Amino acid sequence: MRGKVLSLISVLLIFTLMLSGCGGANSTSNTSEDVIKIGWIGSLTGDQAVWGTCESNTIKMLIEEVNAKGGILGKQVEGVYYDTKGDASEAVNAVKRLISQDKVVAILGPNASGQALAISAVLEQYKVPDIATVATNPKVTVNDDGTVKPYNFRVCFIDPYQGAVAAGYAYDKLGYKNAAILYDVASDYSQGFTEFFEKTFTSKGGTIVAKEGFKEGDVDFRPQLSKIKEANPDVILMPYYYKEVALSSNQARELGITATLIGGDGWPSDQLMTMAKDAIEGSYIVNHLDFNDPEAKPLQDAYKAKYNLPLELNGYMANDAFLLLEAAIKDANSVDPVKITESLTKVSVKGVTGNIQISTEDHNPVGKEAAIVKIESGNYIFQEKYGVK
Amino acid sequence: MTGGYKLSYFLQQIINGLSIGSVYALMAVGYSLVYSIMNFSNFAHGGVIMIGAYIGYFCLTMLKVPFFIAFIISALGAGLLAVSMERIVYRPLRKRNAPFLYFIISAMGASIFLENIVIASPIGPTFRTYPPIFSTTPIMLGSVALGRIDLLMFIISAISLAALMYIIEKTKIGLSIRATSYSIKGSTLMGVNVDQVIFIIFIMGGILAGIAGMLFGMKYTVYPQIGNITTKSFIAAVFGGLGSLPGAVFGSILLGIIETMTSGYLSSQYRDLIAFALLIFVLVVKPTGLMGKSTEDKA
Repeated sequence: MRGKVLSLISVLLIFTLMLSGCGGANSTSNTSEDVIKIGWIGSLTGDQAVWGTCESNTIKMLIEEVNAKGGILGKQVEGVYYDTKGDASEAVNAVKRLISQDKVVAILGPNASGQALAISAVLEQYKVPDIATVATNPKVTVNDDGTVKPYNFRVCFIDPYQGAVAAGYAYDKLGYKNAAILYDVASDYSQGFTEFFEKTFTSKGGTIVAKEGFKEGDVDFRPQLSKIKEANPDVILMPYYYKEVALSSNQARELGITATLIGGDGWPSDQLMTMAKDAIEGSYIVNHLDFNDPEAKPLQDAYKAKYNLPLELNGYMANDAFLLLEAAIKDANSVDPVKITESLTKVSVKGVTGNIQISTEDHNPVGKEAAIVKIESGNYIFQEKYGVK
Repeated sequence: MTGGYKLSYFLQQIINGLSIGSVYALMAVGYSLVYSIMNFSNFAHGGVIMIGAYIGYFCLTMLKVPFFIAFIISALGAGLLAVSMERIVYRPLRKRNAPFLYFIISAMGASIFLENIVIASPIGPTFRTYPPIFSTTPIMLGSVALGRIDLLMFIISAISLAALMYIIEKTKIGLSIRATSYSIKGSTLMGVNVDQVIFIIFIMGGILAGIAGMLFGMKYTVYPQIGNITTKSFIAAVFGGLGSLPGAVFGSILLGIIETMTSGYLSSQYRDLIAFALLIFVLVVKPTGLMGKSTEDKA
């Protein structure tokens, strides 16, 4: 029996090795003559599918518009879209395929930090740039030693910034002195957010009265929430995605916790409203933009007309990432990925989430303010633009 | 950490633990039931639970049937699914006397298949919310909150488990189930129809899966990866003694309480670490689990 198990395992191992070995065979230098191929990666299935679908839809729509106007540099644009299933190793495979097989000039996405972090090595190996949409972990564009990753860019602000904004706003504007944190210990996003919230909140003079963790996939947060309740905080930070937000906010209210909840860009979703409308009433969200901004209207309307779906946050970010790439290709006057990479830090575009000018030091957009949004009777009510140093 | 712990805090954590444990228990019994006869872990059970949760959801939202009817449809639907899987996947293996490893791998395959067929279908990967059936305001006992769905879950779990025990201990079919769990060969010689026993085992497991799925959906939410949570309940079943129904229930409740108490009094980071260190310890000291006696006394 044992022999059979072992031989089965070894056969499986050999298969895996063969498959992974095939990945990076071809080189990238050639791009096709008359079309410009742009890759996109992100989650089309899994927990984050709502966002990935919206991103790829937005890019499809933009490519159609650009092509109708004659394309970029007189060439038609073609999009290639791969599902990462929310998985980092799938993201690496998708990038390898996009570069070596599809010969794309640049890649847009993914929407999550975990996947964006995983693909850097491949990008550097093949020298093709990637513009992440909502990957907010600082390490996405910067190495551990502080040097910039040459081929990773992004159009969103970073986690520390969201955490710092949330902490600053809670302490200075809302006057809260005691904060509790519930966060996802297995998520880079949640950890980065938490770390900088703590730093800013305590440096301003506030106290973190409880800090509890959970793991992605958990559905019951009451043991942690009961503990948080005992610490009696004014505000609870929930830096994670909407499914867990919906479950944990409902459970918090069931346990009789009345503290204000505050979160980040993982919250906004129609799903959250259907599931936890009452529990999140009066909560604050730090977000990349305000949904009611008149400047966002044309994009919202076009998307709604084409897909009959509401445009999620990721659509706006994907739009800006695409505009940035379009400007860079024009500036480079070339479809060579290395030249496009150089141009990405030279151009400045007016996107729907603000002006985007990429810093050469860390490849993050410079000086973006965050929008503070309050949830009132099931609506996102814009409070103000708020930034911290 | 958070100052002096009060009695009400302790009671609240006990209730939290019981509530989490009862979710595991309903799921774990299905594993034990199949294991007691067929001697393999039916990992597809998680998929059946997930489909049960979706059936309940669509009965309530699209067909708009009363809650009680939705419950029955969901239980029967999941039962039917479990039986068809037995027919399509396990029976051919059984007829060929395939080694147990093939059963486990087929079960894993079936589980992944079920998850992906939901994702690929128009239902899609997004999570869905049951319409509110009961008030979400909890019953307050002093400062201790007891959720209404939790209470319902205790009651329904207790009734289903009692019914199951009654069938196994007191009825004629129960006798043949017990006989088969001792020895398939021996009971066949005594005139027990093993195919029929396995059919009944799967339909009972499926019905429990449907009930568990619907309760899970009401309490939390419905999504294609629900099956993953059954890893914990499978572990609870092993903890309690795989193949023993009281063991599965006991192991599940215990796991729920250990998890909650670790989160509540130490740190939530240590939750899985301590719970599973304890599990390994139990299995090293007593390989049959807490209540599993020996191979002669299963079911």
